[in-house]
Amino acid sequence: MESKFTEAYPKAPDETRQADCEKVSGMLDLMIDGEASSEEQTFFNHHIEECVSCFENHQKQKLLKGLVTGHLKRVIVPKSLVQSIKARIQETL
Amino acid sequence: MSDQTGKQLSKEEKDARFEAELLPVLDPLYNFAYRLTLDEDDANDLVQETYLKAYRFFDYFEQGTNAKAWLFRILKNSFINEFRKKSKQPAKVDYSEVEGYYNTDDVEGESGVASTTDMRTESVQDLIGDEVASALNALPVDFRTVIILCDLEGFTYEEMAKILDIPIGTVRSRLHRARNSLKEKLEKYAKSMGYNS
Repeated sequence: MESKFTEAYPKAPDETRQADCEKVSGMLDLMIDGEASSEEQTFFNHHIEECVSCFENHQKQKLLKGLVTGHLKRVIVPKSLVQSIKARIQETL
Repeated sequence: MSDQTGKQLSKEEKDARFEAELLPVLDPLYNFAYRLTLDEDDANDLVQETYLKAYRFFDYFEQGTNAKAWLFRILKNSFINEFRKKSKQPAKVDYSEVEGYYNTDDVEGESGVASTTDMRTESVQDLIGDEVASALNALPVDFRTVIILCDLEGFTYEEMAKILDIPIGTVRSRLHRARNSLKEKLEKYAKSMGYNS
């Protein structure tokens, strides 16, 4: 694993790599929420191709969002609610 | 048609626009109310009150602007005011006061559920939904709110900032903390479902 990093960033010392990981970790939400700029996306995607642990963190964060988006059940609006709203509006005029 | 300024709508016009532009938001609005109050009757009242206010201020609402965000904002503010009146609910305080307490996992009392239940696909789906719901409901209301707005309703950070009346930076940091909190609560469960790291 070490050698791979060295190939990808021949001149990057450990601190730089670590700083990149930190930056990427701070961008996870932006990425999964579609709020990252195209520059940020490029940086992010490039980094996770080279860094397994950041790649995994990204997967986990997507999974977490997916649990809410895809599995949280919506509650059903009571049928009477629209009528109640209209009635209350007419009442208070 | 460009009478944007001194618009004096007739009652029929107003009612028609109100119905066409604001009532379609009823479903997400009710869901939001329910996730905030965790009570059907309270959600019902909150939504009615929100629409009542929206109707009263409808003249200030510009056609074509973000009706959903506007209604969510009204509802959120009503919730805060209502909740301040109901002093019987001391649990719902600002997250900064309680977040330290949420590192413990004492909320996950039903850890045996997944392993003992029949694993037909539908019930597994239900089970995941239930687990997500109970984890979410156990979060402080400010955390729950940002997750609902972002992940369930798909609002942008900018819209969330307007709904909640906070800077975008605060939206980001609150969302980040909220997700960490939710992650902790779901981690144990996720592992039992094979999503381990």
